[in-house]
Amino acid sequence: MSYTLRGRVETRLAALLPVLLGACVLAGVLDRWWPVELVALMAAVGLFLDLEVWHRLLPYQPAWTSVPLGAIELGVLMAILYGFGLQAPLLPALALFGAGWLAAVIFAQAALPLLRLGYAEDGGELGRAGGVAAVALVLAFGGSAATYVVRLPPVVHLSAGVHQGPLVIDRREVLQGEPGAVVRGGIVVAHDDVQVRDVTVVGGENGITVDDVRETVIDGVTVQGAKLDGIHVRLAGVVIRDCTVDMLGNRLGQGIDISFNMDKGMSMVEGCTVVGGQQGITTHSSATDIMDNTVSRTTGQAIAVDEMSMGMASHNAIRNALGVGLYCGDRSMCMFDHNTVIGMRPDTTSGLRNRRGLAVLADFQSEADLWRNRLVANAVAMDTTTNAILRTSSRPSW
Amino acid sequence: MQVAVVGSGLAGFTAYQTLRRELAPGEIAVFGTNSDPAAAWRVRAAAIRQREMRSESDGHCLPTSFPGLAFSSVRRRRSARPLLDSVLDRYHPTVEEFLSHVERLRERSGWDASLVPRRIERVRAVDGGFDLDGESFTHVLLAPGHPGLNVPEELCDDPRVVHSYEPHDYADTVTVVGAGLAAATEWLNALAADAEVVSVRRHEPARRPLNVPRQYFSRRGLDGYHRLAPRERVERLRTLIAPSYPPGPQWDEPLERAARDGRFRVEQSVNGSAQVICATGFRRGIRHDPLLARLVAEHDLETADGWLVLEPDSTVPALSDAERTLAVAGAPAQWAFPAADTLAGARYAAHRFLGRIGSCRTR
Repeated sequence: MSYTLRGRVETRLAALLPVLLGACVLAGVLDRWWPVELVALMAAVGLFLDLEVWHRLLPYQPAWTSVPLGAIELGVLMAILYGFGLQAPLLPALALFGAGWLAAVIFAQAALPLLRLGYAEDGGELGRAGGVAAVALVLAFGGSAATYVVRLPPVVHLSAGVHQGPLVIDRREVLQGEPGAVVRGGIVVAHDDVQVRDVTVVGGENGITVDDVRETVIDGVTVQGAKLDGIHVRLAGVVIRDCTVDMLGNRLGQGIDISFNMDKGMSMVEGCTVVGGQQGITTHSSATDIMDNTVSRTTGQAIAVDEMSMGMASHNAIRNALGVGLYCGDRSMCMFDHNTVIGMRPDTTSGLRNRRGLAVLADFQSEADLWRNRLVANAVAMDTTTNAILRTSSRPSW
Repeated sequence: MQVAVVGSGLAGFTAYQTLRRELAPGEIAVFGTNSDPAAAWRVRAAAIRQREMRSESDGHCLPTSFPGLAFSSVRRRRSARPLLDSVLDRYHPTVEEFLSHVERLRERSGWDASLVPRRIERVRAVDGGFDLDGESFTHVLLAPGHPGLNVPEELCDDPRVVHSYEPHDYADTVTVVGAGLAAATEWLNALAADAEVVSVRRHEPARRPLNVPRQYFSRRGLDGYHRLAPRERVERLRTLIAPSYPPGPQWDEPLERAARDGRFRVEQSVNGSAQVICATGFRRGIRHDPLLARLVAEHDLETADGWLVLEPDSTVPALSDAERTLAVAGAPAQWAFPAADTLAGARYAAHRFLGRIGSCRTR
């Protein structure tokens, strides 16, 4: 087939139509936007390559080139997907791409040549049908975008001043704190798709409680004086960014505790500062990335990946704490890289072997990989207990 | 009846299949002298002992390029190999498969019901249409076929000469004149018959899978071709239709082996071989076709170096308008489509002819 540029584009758009419709249905069923976003990205990548590469490179395109061209387009798509951190699950995304590729092959090699008399000699151009396909695609993408905008959660502005809590959020919304907005008595997130931004929380059982919901974002919050945990997450997927948690004076609480959410996908704690508490950031039975945080003055473990968790702690700074800096415990699998642990002191009052000022400790059948961490002026650099494994590697293990 | 096809060969037959998408057999008249559309082609293919088509899966007479002959080959051969070969552009239907395809189509399309067994001698434009030897039609497609075999003038009276498309056997020493697919086939045929072969040719043949480069089968190459000024288009056409045959070891290895054994060589002129086979194709130019020559002369139609000047949609510009159409298919339509003498070329002209009929105000 020798495509004209227009024919190449029209064929691409026509083949994308059923895939886009399928993606819209899938998005509705899953209540997720990634299928539509992925097809939009497929369209963008495909059209760019058509316009800038394939048309110039291929005056004639044999049928067999569908395979290598598809592989290249998949590679570019995946690079963009992961390079820009777009959230699409790998296997379904591959399946959707595969469906799109198959549709393109069937359309170009069979359906369009069968339905349109001069398809081959017109270089893939579809006449009016090409225009209709383009309009339909624009309408479908436009409709999806409009639906996305309409369905954005409402923004609730929390004015400056003290608001008495506990504040229970039981609908989709963005709680946006104005400068100086303070909630006294804690916040409870009790609905999916809630964002809490730029709010200071004082007191409460937990500063912020997130329980059995999905897609919570906690961004730019400050938590002080919580009785138990600063941010307490159970059975929920969460992204916590740029927070400050002050647990000074609370000997038993955790700054951030994310537990029992392995089935909710990846969670993340990024850019937070945690001071005080027994544990600074801890996960249990969770897949959480802990990155670029600063933890200090904890009395137990500064960062703990515990109880069959799988997680990465990367680029964190831990200073001036008691007991353990980086802890991988209870059959967890941990990757610790580019962390700085300085000045860990032994907890002499406990007299426990596993709290003697360790920068890194792997405990009870856990496996921890270390790569390029700075461990400075600690009582003990690293150790293992109870059949745990600690590996220092010259390369990252992922 | 408003629509006529003049010519009952493969080009006319292919056009008929396209017309049948929208017209009943009773609405189409096909004028020709042989009810078998492959009759002339069959004799030529047999003469050069052709076993495979040069064309690929889409080298068929159906109106749409899909499904191609590879699909019917899958059923016939009970193997997926034809499809795989087609994906790799390596599938070529056998002559037998192609002829069966033509026969099947002939039976189911109503071809025989539309056939008027008569040779048209004169096409004349009249008000609102065309007069074909006394019968009037609004839309006419001329598919007169090749205007006879071409034998170089200097060899016309040589008793050793036979044209490759005429039935023949092989002498002990054979000179093959020409450098296209027929010539290449004859080199191998004569070598297989233990003859000593001399190839006489003016130029080295081009090696390409199809008659013309692939992009000239689609608008990608055709748009630029159609934009050329007449003089440039003549030059381009000469280049495009220069003799060629496909690349591949099935051609090269026997020739190299025979050359090593001293049984195959290239020379500039005909020597003392016992037999001279002219694989020099067909006469070219409308002056060799009485029907077209008369049409051009009577209507003062534009020509360029022997080619009838046509619109890109293969219609005769001076005689086609919103109410009537005179189109040309097959070899004489190369001005619109360089590979017009192929099945894809016949389909190209037919598609556009049908489009003109569909948009006609008086239909």
